[in-house]
Amino acid sequence: MKRLPILFILPFSMALSAQEFSFSGNFTSFSQYYVDDKKTGDFTEKDRFRSNNYLKLNSEIDKFSFGLQIEGYAPQAILNYSPSFDEQIGVATYFANYKNEKLDITAGYFYEQFGNGLIFRSWEDQQLGLNNALRGGKIKYAPFQYLQFIGLYGKHRVGFDVSEGEVYGFDTEFNISEALKIEKSTLNFGFSIVNRSQEIENAAEGFNKNTFAYSGRLNYSKNNFYSNVEYVIKDKDALLEFGSVNTNSLSKGNALLYNAGYSYRRFGLNATFRRLENMTYYSDREVNDNIDNEQLVNYLPSLTKQHDYSLANIYVYQTQSRVTFNPFEKAGEIGYQLDAYYQFEKETFLGGKYGTNLAINYASLYGLDAEFNRENRTFDAEFLSLGRKYFTDFNVEMRKKWSKQWTSIFTYINLFYNKKYLEERSGKVNAQIAIIDATYQFLPTKSVRFEAQHLWTNDDRENWLAGTAEFNFSSKFSLFANDSYNYGNEINKIHYFTFGGSYTKNSTRFSLNYGRQRGGLICIGGVCRVVPESTGFGLNLSTSF
Amino acid sequence: MKIILLLAVLNFSQIFSQDNLPKISLKNNFGKSIAISEIDTKTVTVFSFWATWCIPCLNELDAISEIYDDWQNETNVKIIAVSIDDTRSASRVKPLANSKNWEYEILFDTNQEFKRAVNATSIPYLIIVKNNKIVYSHSGYTQGSEIELYEKIKEFAYKN
Repeated sequence: MKRLPILFILPFSMALSAQEFSFSGNFTSFSQYYVDDKKTGDFTEKDRFRSNNYLKLNSEIDKFSFGLQIEGYAPQAILNYSPSFDEQIGVATYFANYKNEKLDITAGYFYEQFGNGLIFRSWEDQQLGLNNALRGGKIKYAPFQYLQFIGLYGKHRVGFDVSEGEVYGFDTEFNISEALKIEKSTLNFGFSIVNRSQEIENAAEGFNKNTFAYSGRLNYSKNNFYSNVEYVIKDKDALLEFGSVNTNSLSKGNALLYNAGYSYRRFGLNATFRRLENMTYYSDREVNDNIDNEQLVNYLPSLTKQHDYSLANIYVYQTQSRVTFNPFEKAGEIGYQLDAYYQFEKETFLGGKYGTNLAINYASLYGLDAEFNRENRTFDAEFLSLGRKYFTDFNVEMRKKWSKQWTSIFTYINLFYNKKYLEERSGKVNAQIAIIDATYQFLPTKSVRFEAQHLWTNDDRENWLAGTAEFNFSSKFSLFANDSYNYGNEINKIHYFTFGGSYTKNSTRFSLNYGRQRGGLICIGGVCRVVPESTGFGLNLSTSF
Repeated sequence: MKIILLLAVLNFSQIFSQDNLPKISLKNNFGKSIAISEIDTKTVTVFSFWATWCIPCLNELDAISEIYDDWQNETNVKIIAVSIDDTRSASRVKPLANSKNWEYEILFDTNQEFKRAVNATSIPYLIIVKNNKIVYSHSGYTQGSEIELYEKIKEFAYKN
């Protein structure tokens, strides 16, 4: 905090003598007012009104840039955000950066990703309330176009504080084809090392506070074919059980990711295989698997397709990379996903006047096939053998423009969700979902959009029906209403509805809504968290300048 | 004290605000590193931030794709589709874009460095750039807004 004035005055004093000075930023605000709900119950927590606010300011003078982000959670953060944000206002992140053609140096908070993120990624998503920037320093050095080195050190941000664990990282990437001036194909090679260091009190004798992870990756593409592979080894680390670190139980981890695809005009194929064994990697060992996704060193998103529609987001897969002995024995996951895209050309039977786009996706995920020794807390996992089935998702999407006015998207999803192992509760779910999304454009910038969705299942909470209507009066102003109705079960039939509107002008957007939010596991953008049901008014504002 | 500084900054912004393209490099769909600030923007260039999972983004890029030839003939505009897909879905970008027969150059902003540098908060988001300066930005897409975008493109295409 004390560094703020220096960071701020510096740009202005430099601006006086500089040729190029620019200033920019943005402001985002999410506010909620929670009300009592006859159906789901009264709001019993403190502060009905809650607001999350972010003000980002950046300036640039020649080769230098400076920035800071002020965040305010007043009177406290909206529901389901990490408690580390509550009742706080202040400077959350800041940085100073110098960049020339070969060198790029940052001091303060920074974001970075090595390769596919399997051993290191620091990133931000305000809408999800996630920010795992590191506070420290980073140097990028690129002596040639085809060669780059990154060295970094820092501590993860936790609310307005930082983690007690430390992260050290090194990454290099060498573009072989560029170095050898090969035009027709691309070949990149990358290598990274990350170390997480954290002292543990009362640790077993000889326990190493450092946990190193090593990764090698290769990308190759030629003509219409591309592929990349990354392999990771993570050194022995302690097991976290019942909220405490067991320094007597040490296991290694590893990960393998392989991706390949082929695409040509109007046609695309993509396949991914991934195996994760004991790959949870946190700055602070004690927060392993925390629900707020804080202090994550690496990034292991689920491989499944990210759906946009509400009913398609009820049964969502969550990556299983953690080792547990209780209540279930788990050592990681193994799985694959396939995508196929095809466009039926215009003026053909299936293409019609405007062409038709088809997308097919299939994902299948399993636990690792492993032997567990409960007494010693050790395990031994097979390399290429499928264990218990966790999840499958087969989906087909067809986008079709019928006329100048009508466009539509049809989606069909067939999924299996092993609730028992994914949520550590009982049950399995087999479900089918059908969605029709149609837009009618009656004037150049005036349109209406309708969505009808149905989810069929005899399991869990049984059938759902959902609908949306959206009116776009101009490119600036729209109104919407939607409802998801869980009517299938006899015990608790319930509507989850929202209605509201938004106003957009250039890069400023303002929206207001009222509704009842579904509880349970809510996943947005591949990040899941368990939330209680809530009802209330929401107000969002974002603008950039 | 903090507030005074803030106000001072906001005042300065009135005088100086003139955004350059950020000095960062992203990979294109052939795995080649592209320095953003070195992209030729003597003619109007639109950077459209999108993702494979964002339906309005796909609607926008599809709608523009249909009339892109006309736009190019009239204004020489260039559209660059910047995918903010992270490693979860980045591998879908190339087959999806090819299957749609888009003619846009594609850049991969996998850790959202470019998106952050232009202060975009959500997608779809686009910036219009001319002579390395960001002259216009817009958030969101509804059916038909490409018509208004094209008015902006024309405005800057004929301006020096």
